[in-house]
Amino acid sequence: MQIRVVLTSLALSAICFPIGAFALDQPKGEVVLTVSAHDLGHPNINGTAQFDLPMLEALASRTAEMETPWTEGKVKFSGPLLRSILEAAGAHGSQLKVIALNDYSANVPMEDAAKLDTILATRINGDTMSVRDKGPLFLIYPFDKDASLFNEKYFSRSVWQIKTIEVSE
Amino acid sequence: MTFSARSSGDIIRKASKATVVLQGFAVMLLVGLIFLFTDISQRYLSFQDGVRENALWSVYQLDREARRLHEALHVMLAERDYSTVAVKALVTRYDILYSRINILEKTSFERKFKLDSSVERHISEIRSVVLGKVGFFDALNARGTFEPEKSEAVDDDLEKLVSATESLLVYTNSNVSSERADAREALLALQLKSGGLVILLVGCVVVLIFTLRRQLKSVRLAGLSLEMISNELNEAYLDAEAGNRAKSQFMATMGHEVRTPLNAILGTAELLELSTLTPSVASGMQTIRRSGHALLEVINEILDFAKIEHGKLDIEMRPVDLSSVLSTTIEMVRDRATEQGNQIALVVPQRFKTPAVSTDPTRLRQVLLNLLSNAIKFTSNGTITLCVRELETPQNSILRFEISDTGIGIDEDGLGRLFQPFSQVDASISRKYGGTGLGLTICKQIVEAMMGRIGVESAKGQGSTFWFEIPVVAAAVPVPPANTVERGPSGTLPMLNVLLVEDNLVNQQVAAGFLNHLGQKVTIVSDGCEAVEAVARQPFDLILMDMQMPRMDGIEATRLIRDAEKSKPQTPIIAMTANASDDDRRLCAEAGMSGFQSKPVSLQQLRGIIEALDPSEPEAMNIVGQALDIDNSFATRRAEIVEALGEETFDELLSSFFDDATTLLQGLHEAMAANDYRSADHLLHTIKGAASSVGLQQIADTSQQLRSGPVSKNGIEKLSETVDEFRQRLAA
Repeated sequence: MQIRVVLTSLALSAICFPIGAFALDQPKGEVVLTVSAHDLGHPNINGTAQFDLPMLEALASRTAEMETPWTEGKVKFSGPLLRSILEAAGAHGSQLKVIALNDYSANVPMEDAAKLDTILATRINGDTMSVRDKGPLFLIYPFDKDASLFNEKYFSRSVWQIKTIEVSE
Repeated sequence: MTFSARSSGDIIRKASKATVVLQGFAVMLLVGLIFLFTDISQRYLSFQDGVRENALWSVYQLDREARRLHEALHVMLAERDYSTVAVKALVTRYDILYSRINILEKTSFERKFKLDSSVERHISEIRSVVLGKVGFFDALNARGTFEPEKSEAVDDDLEKLVSATESLLVYTNSNVSSERADAREALLALQLKSGGLVILLVGCVVVLIFTLRRQLKSVRLAGLSLEMISNELNEAYLDAEAGNRAKSQFMATMGHEVRTPLNAILGTAELLELSTLTPSVASGMQTIRRSGHALLEVINEILDFAKIEHGKLDIEMRPVDLSSVLSTTIEMVRDRATEQGNQIALVVPQRFKTPAVSTDPTRLRQVLLNLLSNAIKFTSNGTITLCVRELETPQNSILRFEISDTGIGIDEDGLGRLFQPFSQVDASISRKYGGTGLGLTICKQIVEAMMGRIGVESAKGQGSTFWFEIPVVAAAVPVPPANTVERGPSGTLPMLNVLLVEDNLVNQQVAAGFLNHLGQKVTIVSDGCEAVEAVARQPFDLILMDMQMPRMDGIEATRLIRDAEKSKPQTPIIAMTANASDDDRRLCAEAGMSGFQSKPVSLQQLRGIIEALDPSEPEAMNIVGQALDIDNSFATRRAEIVEALGEETFDELLSSFFDDATTLLQGLHEAMAANDYRSADHLLHTIKGAASSVGLQQIADTSQQLRSGPVSKNGIEKLSETVDEFRQRLAA
């Protein structure tokens, strides 16, 4: 486990390194996500990496249709991959603490970002999500790709109304 | 024993029943287990299906968000902080609460939670409150200005909302808890159910094993008792066999004992019939003779049957002239047939393809006589036909004999009982016609021993046809003419030069008398040495040789004679002995004797021996003198001797026997006194031979008895007494 985490971090930093030279752009609109870490690679505001919606939607993304316990029928989620956000922020660690607007938080292991195509969904069926619709960001596991993820363990990690991600070692 | 076998059989049967029941039970249990397993797996599937969001958690979140909204509004009103940031935060709080309502409505929770009506009621209540505030918060968000008056009312509503969400939370908690308890209970029940089934199954298996063990044990016990039973049966069989053997032995002895006096009766009757009798006495005599013959036949049949039952039916194959056997057999029954007013006919081919066959003539004649006698017995004023045919099959040639009569016939029931021992067609038959009912059984046994088969075709009142078929092989050697019983007077016999070797004076006189009567030239010598000398001096046509003689016995003398005549044709030598045992026969044959005659020799037998000798064909001397199987009684012997030699000669012989006997008994006493058992034995032998020669069978038997054990004084006294008794009786 330990070794795997180290390897993952190494791999991530190896990917991050070439773009490490770029500092993250300043958010132009309303900030929707803040990534904080002890030693962030590309901070843009006060040592944290802050994203507005266009910044997030510019990152490598995924769109997938799936059923979830919180939606009726099949819905289409789209948004940046969690790992691409962490790359952009230059964050590395083994543990993510995903915090929602209502201060609900869930611990997500870094593996879920590195190995799974986990996304921070910005749109549902092509529309952005308001807070009333569990927006603006919703952590969506690839339930469509892997049925074994469809259980309470991953449900509890599927945080919505996300505002902050804290990366720790 | 039998009881234990039966009881172990019962145990096995019971155990098998128990096993069947247990097997059925085990199958049922297995089915139960299968059902249980499918139940469990279905529950598991639905469990998988029921991967749902946690309702309690969502309700808790709703309650929390409601409280936080209420708290935020309350704080704003209390602190009068109507800043844009605070307003924005308030709106966000509302948005979050709003999203929670959606969550509650759209999320799939545990099924029971959704279906619960009070949950639904609670949610719709909460929903109406939350959605009712949309306008207020939307306006707040749009204008950005806070109106405390309006907000007071909202604050009150939110307070009510909080109590509603709280009660939903409490309700949900208890609901979820009870559901969890239910689930646990169901799981427990399931576990108990499967546990019970497993225990039952295990119990079943244990009982099965126990039953099997018990079954195995009783099978072993049953095997043991069966073995014991079979041993007992074997013993019982051996006992029965021994009993049967004793019975056969007894029958043989009794038969012998009965035949001896019967011969005397028959002989006397025949003798008396020769003299002049009044018609009534003559018919009485005839009745006596016939009844005697019938009795003799019955006894012979019983003895034959005893022998057959004892497994002693011997078939002696030898070349037989078929025509002669058939004609003599017919002649033997012709008289009886005529007495019953029956015609008797022999139907045979002109020439048999195999005139001489290898078979047992005695047995063949026995079967034919039996069937012919039966036919005659059950037919009166009819015709009896003996028809003989030769059948050819690819394997061998078969002789078929058919004896048909026109008698009373046999119905179907009766046919089934034929050939069974001691059975006659019906009881009235045995009353009317007599007989042992053994004849056909004996015939069947004989025919089967000859590898043939026997059968009958008959219908009541239409006569019967008994038939039998025996496989035969053609005989290479033509047989000498059979000894004929019905031959004319002695004139037809060839005159032979006969050497009689006999040490006993009485025997010498009897044999010489018979031979003279038959017109033979007799030379008498009294021991082996003299015989050898006599043969050296002149050739003889026939030598009658006694076996036991002083100086040189018959065996030794025969050897010497045979040695001497190596270049010459062999002289027929017929042995004469009182003890016709198989060993004696073998010794005689080994010494080179041509035939064998048991003593006392009858006139008829001597005639047969001489007839069998044809001087022109000395090689054909294949004489096997038939041992007399009946004991000559004094009367028949006397009749015989009187017929041949006259009454005077017989009286002379008798007195010379008694004279001799006195001398011999004297010698016997002396020998006993000197403990010379050898001489004593020899003297006893001589007495025996002489006594049987004149028909004093009782004296002969007593002498023989003395010889068979250690000679005692008492025994000799008894012999002397017997001799004296006869002497007095005959002198009278």
